[in-house]
Amino acid sequence: MADKKHRFNVRDHAATYWENSPKWRRIALGVFFVAIFYSLPFLNNPLINTPGSDFQSVLFYPVGMYVLMAIGLNIVVGKSGLLDLGYVAFFAIGAYTMAILGTRTSLNFWEILPIGIALSMVSGVLLGTPTLRLRGDYLAIVTLGFGEIVRIVAVNIEAIGGPRGIAGIPTPPDVFNAKFTILDPKPYYWLLLTFTLLVIWMVRRMAARRPGRAWDAIRQDDDVAQLMGVNTLKYKVWAFVLGAAVAGAGGVIYASQILSIVPDQFNLNLSILILACVVFGGIGNLWGVILGAALLAFTPERIRFLSQPRILVFGIALVVMMNLRPDGILPKKKREHFDPNWKTVEESGEGEIK
Amino acid sequence: MTEKLLELKNITMKFGGVTALSEVNLHVNKGEIAALIGPNGAGKTTVFNVVTGVYKPTSGEVNFNGQSVIGKKRYQVTRLGIARTFQNIRLFGESTALENVVTGADVHSKSGVVGAIFGTPRSRREEAAAVERGMELLEFMGLKHRAGQLGKNLPYGDQRRLEIARALATNPQLLLLDEPAAGFNPAEKVALAATIRKIRDAGYTVLLIEHDMSLIMDISDRVAVLDFGQKIADDVPKVVQNDPRVIEAYLGAPADAS
Amino acid sequence: MDFGLLRDAFWGLTFDGLALGAIYALISLGYTLVYGVLRLINFAHSEVFMIGTFSALVASGIMGVKVEDDPRTGWGMVFTLLICLIAAMLASGITAVLVEIIAYRRLRQRGATKLATLISAIGVSISLVELFRIITDSLPREFPRIMDKTFLFSYAGADIRNDKVIVIIAAGLMMFALERFISKSRYGKGIRAVSMDENTATLMGVNINKVITVTFLAGGMMAGAAAFFYILVYENTSFKVGFFLGISAFTAAVLGGIGNLKGALFGGFMLGVLETWTSAVFGTAWKAVISFLILVLVLLIKPTGLFGESIQQARV
Repeated sequence: MADKKHRFNVRDHAATYWENSPKWRRIALGVFFVAIFYSLPFLNNPLINTPGSDFQSVLFYPVGMYVLMAIGLNIVVGKSGLLDLGYVAFFAIGAYTMAILGTRTSLNFWEILPIGIALSMVSGVLLGTPTLRLRGDYLAIVTLGFGEIVRIVAVNIEAIGGPRGIAGIPTPPDVFNAKFTILDPKPYYWLLLTFTLLVIWMVRRMAARRPGRAWDAIRQDDDVAQLMGVNTLKYKVWAFVLGAAVAGAGGVIYASQILSIVPDQFNLNLSILILACVVFGGIGNLWGVILGAALLAFTPERIRFLSQPRILVFGIALVVMMNLRPDGILPKKKREHFDPNWKTVEESGEGEIK
Repeated sequence: MTEKLLELKNITMKFGGVTALSEVNLHVNKGEIAALIGPNGAGKTTVFNVVTGVYKPTSGEVNFNGQSVIGKKRYQVTRLGIARTFQNIRLFGESTALENVVTGADVHSKSGVVGAIFGTPRSRREEAAAVERGMELLEFMGLKHRAGQLGKNLPYGDQRRLEIARALATNPQLLLLDEPAAGFNPAEKVALAATIRKIRDAGYTVLLIEHDMSLIMDISDRVAVLDFGQKIADDVPKVVQNDPRVIEAYLGAPADAS
Repeated sequence: MDFGLLRDAFWGLTFDGLALGAIYALISLGYTLVYGVLRLINFAHSEVFMIGTFSALVASGIMGVKVEDDPRTGWGMVFTLLICLIAAMLASGITAVLVEIIAYRRLRQRGATKLATLISAIGVSISLVELFRIITDSLPREFPRIMDKTFLFSYAGADIRNDKVIVIIAAGLMMFALERFISKSRYGKGIRAVSMDENTATLMGVNINKVITVTFLAGGMMAGAAAFFYILVYENTSFKVGFFLGISAFTAAVLGGIGNLKGALFGGFMLGVLETWTSAVFGTAWKAVISFLILVLVLLIKPTGLFGESIQQARV
């Protein structure tokens, strides 16, 4: 299958290089890149410094947080093709769990984190099981409604802070002499980065195996997937629940850094923003989504005049991307590859069937 | 003895005011190649849809291995042992040929998301088994060299063969083929006939819908004919071929009807 | 929870609900028409409505009416109101058509996935909301009282206000006119044909692009009328006025049976009344929650709605 244009395609070359590398080289490259990401907070370069806000703080939020959430939403929208417009709800549930349990019980961050994740997952099951039977557009509007409902409920229930939200959220306890305080975002960033790497690892494992195949089948043709024996409702709910877990964890971590939350910050715009990250990076494409989220989160911080109409820019970006470049910023892999040792490479480069 | 694998009893299928199937009685014996023919719109694909659980019949019974399949979810019907291909090819175009087939083979794996995340021994075993079965089937259908290619990039004939491989991957007892020879040239049809025989010889039972009469007459053990939602013939190919009702259904009444 | 209020003011609330429902019905026509021809939820429709409200506002400003002015009377009043109505309908109609051309047309012609089209729709919706948020500096705007609001009469304890009566009657007339258009005119027949079977319609010589443009125009104009009536009754608007009204109107369309004009009408009135009753009982903050619950219940129990055709399935 010939390319339309024989261009130097960075992605293909990178992917080929990776596949042809022996194991030791892959490990070395992996360690190298991970090390780079961990040392990002120490970067002090006028090219990337963010005027108006602290670079290290920006790394944590919005960059790190958007990346994590985009990875989570990518499982739902990108891999499974389920349009979830209320993703912020799970983020809110995680944040509120941290806020409520942190201020009213003696549990610390590490104890609250699994609870927050569990609550988000339960919400995912409760919302998903009845609604994931619905067709795409209906699912979209129902999830949109859910996102708004969570916010409205939070605003109107005084017991959890009402419109003023909750303040005085405790910071996580020290880890290996790293102190989590409002003054230093670095430990938070490293915590978030570690968690994100864990999620990436999980996602890649699933993508290369049965769940990934099921989700790809569901996205491409739900009816036929069922007829090939895939229990589509089960896998759709799983996608939903995993996405919720990721957002919930993000919420817990976020709340423990920002130390006070208000319900109005968990609004539809944030759901759309994360969706824009997924779209921008290329729906379904894990690395594209990470890059897209990082870019979309970072650019308004770096270029200040973009910051105010940020949402307007995101909205326009959605329309433009869908119409002109639906595959996202990283061009889709053009070549295919077959190894007689039964190794094949998935279209999105997310893993191998060995 | 001949054992009825699939049995449709008095199946009626109505959509609003339209009756697609009317009191249809059909059966497929184990180990045979049965054919379902009839003019366009006769209801053949509707029969497939009823059998696989896509439609719930207005009345009647559908029994597979003696068990009713009505009301079962589609993926459950597949797990019972019925698999199909489609009139308009419906592959997972963005996935590779191997992935298409392995998705079908996955139906027999028990491990799922949790197994994949934690890499449990059972999950790894089942994964290897599914991929192995996938490659076997690709080889069986002559597609081994296409394993890494995307479904949408395959040539037409290979796409049809891939659909069959994917269906076989679910390890069915009964394979439903919906116009598998559509768009094939005569040489490809001969090869397809041989493949279908090979499938039957490997232990599967086949029910196919087709328009190519010579193909049907060549490989089928039995032929059932539908016209306007009703069965008008059901016998060995030679008898059906000469049945005046069948001829009339396809060609219209003879000009010199007396 | 205050059932007492519902009991005491029942007829008044019902009347108010009908007026609100008339507005919902007009907006939901747009959703249902577009869904009929494109099988797509036009997320940007709520902003088409919002732009209509601002157009009426601008029109009134151009005619020199100020918020602090006394209401007008006689033919002057009628003229002013009509200009505002026409301005709203035109602006909304044109916006709807532009949305189709910018956000949907290319994707439709390329056979893009549903997901892609929905995302484009949301992009347009959010862009318009943000644009107007920036323009209005996040502040709501007041609409001058052009027509004096008087109570015409009382019925069973309900005070029947003139503006709400006008809204209910006018909305009914517009829906009747639309229904005539759909069933009698050439374009109307085209719309029905495309709703039923796009391929056959093309084969029969229907110009799909024109039909779709007319569909968006008709739906947009109805939303523009709704915008005028909304601003007449509630006398204010803001950049986010479209959001909740849009969700309610969409719920109304689903409730009545999406793709079905009669359903949109009935669904609109029914939802308007239901929302007004529940607001009285639970308070206005929970109005959106009630709407949403109704939507989910309908989709789960009877996805084709009250009058729905079974052509399109809401379930996979």
